Amino acid sequence: MLILEDIRKAFGAKPVLQGLGLELAPSGVTCLLGPSGCGKSTLLRIAAGLESPDSGLVHARPEDCAVVFQDPRLLPWLTVGENLRLALPAMLPSREAAAGIEAALAMVELPPALSRAMPRELSGGMAQRVGVARALLRRPRIMLMDEPFAALDAMTRAHLQDMLRTLMRESLCLFVTHDISEAFRVARRICVMKEGSIVRTFEEGDFATAEQRRALKKLIVEQLGIREKGAKDD
Amino acid sequence: MPPMRTFKTLFVPLLLLVLWHWIAASGLVSRYLLPGPGAVLSSALSMAQSGILAEHLAASFSRIAMGFSASTVVGLAVAGLLYRFRLLDELFTGTLSFLRMTPPLALAPLIILWLGIDGAMQVAIIMLASFFPIYLNTRAGLSRLDPLHRELAASLHVSRLRFVLFFLVPAAIPSVITGLRLSFGYSWRALIAAELIAASSGLGYLIMDAEQMQRADEVIVGIVVIGVIGWMLDAGFVRVTTALLGRRFPEIRG
Repeated sequence: MLILEDIRKAFGAKPVLQGLGLELAPSGVTCLLGPSGCGKSTLLRIAAGLESPDSGLVHARPEDCAVVFQDPRLLPWLTVGENLRLALPAMLPSREAAAGIEAALAMVELPPALSRAMPRELSGGMAQRVGVARALLRRPRIMLMDEPFAALDAMTRAHLQDMLRTLMRESLCLFVTHDISEAFRVARRICVMKEGSIVRTFEEGDFATAEQRRALKKLIVEQLGIREKGAKDD
Repeated sequence: MPPMRTFKTLFVPLLLLVLWHWIAASGLVSRYLLPGPGAVLSSALSMAQSGILAEHLAASFSRIAMGFSASTVVGLAVAGLLYRFRLLDELFTGTLSFLRMTPPLALAPLIILWLGIDGAMQVAIIMLASFFPIYLNTRAGLSRLDPLHRELAASLHVSRLRFVLFFLVPAAIPSVITGLRLSFGYSWRALIAAELIAASSGLGYLIMDAEQMQRADEVIVGIVVIGVIGWMLDAGFVRVTTALLGRRFPEIRG
């Protein structure tokens, strides 16, 4: 489980998170939707243990989390396979590691031969799939994703969104995005964030039909001031 | 190398050769001061046949092998230790800056007094000349790890050992390679200088000896051999590192 209680965080004099509480849906993707600069990436980094809050409680062990960053963040001097190997325990026998890596590549629909490629030989979409595969290899209790598909073209993005929704059906996943359509496509629960706290939470039933989604989008855009096409990053 | 590029690389040396021949043949300069390329070539052949060239080359090579490998080991170790232990860094910074700013040849008289003129003295001079490029570039390289990769290591919860082997050291490798290459050039030049000052063998000594015998042709043979060998060694270094590491570190390709 991942529960955050009353998280506060400021950078210098600027408060970023102001008493934020969040609970993930018991399975499937929970989207954290908010405009650029609302503190959603900071919240994800706190959940991952990469940043510590000024106050508040995080009910999750960092070792149980795996992170997918906005960039694929592969080490350029290692092959794809070697990059993936780093997510597995160092002591694991190499045959088991190779099997695990092959399975993880298959999950993100990549051929096993790709493990011998260098990261610079991959397209953006392929590299980001490898990033997802690396996170999957850690067999995390909680998957944390920070706008992982923001830099990809629309077709690749839609495909990866569907893939992710399927992969995460039975797992816990926190997915940060500023794109409302993306949230509708992947999420089971959507937490709308504004100025350092969560202002509304919607469950799957709230955005099941096209009509509901249209109404909800209108509500989010007009009342909560979140644009469909925001700036790229926080 | 493609033939066109080989030709371009060799164009200027060939031009200089023609110019040299023309000046020497014109009679403007005395033959004793500037022998022509033909005369120099025939001295080179006779020096090669008598084994003198090989003997001096071997003396220089063994010194450079010892000096360069010693300063590689020491340079890498000192950089690693000072990076790891802040206290050592603070203790040695001043001393190292002093040594770095002192030309190795300025220390030669003292080294000659301590170590004599053969073997050890030239190796010591090489070490003084080549330590700093390796040390400084390795030091800089160790700080070159991208903060995003550091964050990745944290998110993957990798062990200390894996962090050093797969993150910290690889990030430093391009700098280390640059340091080694620079330092190799410095070693070679410092060696010849040390042999010119005081030695009883080696290419530097060969030149000095020929000068005292008024043999300009042999002096030129020595200079050309030094330049060509240095060039070949540098090209060989680039070729070997590229073959070994070029796929993982495309930026080191020469």
